[in-house]
Amino acid sequence: MKLTSKKMSRGADTELQMTSMIDVIFLLMIFFLVTASFTTSESELETATKVNEKTSSSQPSDLEPAIIEVKQGDGRFVYMLGSNQYNTHAELQAVLEQFPNKSDGAFVRASDAAPYGMAAAAIQAAKSSGFQVVSYVPLIEN
Amino acid sequence: MKLSKPKSRHVPEMDLTPMIDIVFMLLIFIITVMRVSEANREPLDLPELVGEKEQSTTAVVVNIMLDGSIIVSNNQIDLGDLAIIISNEIIKMENDPDRVQVVIRGDTNGTCKTENDVIKQLAQLGISRVRLAVHVPE
Repeated sequence: MKLTSKKMSRGADTELQMTSMIDVIFLLMIFFLVTASFTTSESELETATKVNEKTSSSQPSDLEPAIIEVKQGDGRFVYMLGSNQYNTHAELQAVLEQFPNKSDGAFVRASDAAPYGMAAAAIQAAKSSGFQVVSYVPLIEN
Repeated sequence: MKLSKPKSRHVPEMDLTPMIDIVFMLLIFIITVMRVSEANREPLDLPELVGEKEQSTTAVVVNIMLDGSIIVSNNQIDLGDLAIIISNEIIKMENDPDRVQVVIRGDTNGTCKTENDVIKQLAQLGISRVRLAVHVPE
């Protein structure tokens, strides 16, 4: 005579100890939350470099049309595009966006005394304006 | 009277110990890799710009501090030392300078003098493309 059900006895004692796994997952989650807030996000601006002392002198007509120079004007450094001065890289970008031929590339020229932040911003403005190739030219002043 | 056959009670258990071991190993690995990848980055104020592409991991990182000093792999070097480092990298890349990726991390408040000198030095070695590191604004 069968008094106990075979089916009932199976599976009733199956237990899964989830405590350790939950502990680890929470630790990982806390770790990633904490580190994520302290990690600084860096990006890159890829630029070609042109080092040619002869063409670095002020002869804009010999070079490609979009030539941005970081120069000292009125006691502070400004962006020069041709004879026009721009104080911020947003103004510069707005003008660069109007350039019809962007496939020829843009040139950013900065002298040794120019602020590096402005030179990088000029490259960013040209890249954001759609210029396919942006070249950086160290400007050698005579 | 014995009605049922005594059964050996086998309780199935999942052993989580190996999984926890592996998770901890992965955690230690990730932390170590993060530390190594950040070892080449000196704390400086990068230009606040959106940038163009993700930062490459296999590159020579040239840190240019506010005072114009050059730091590569936590060592302060001069342009001559930089030329040796880059030359070795070019040799590693089968004498193809185009395959050597150089990232310049310059302080936004500094001048372009050292950056210009570094770029001229790189140009002498045949490297005509550089990547400028920027800090993406929040």
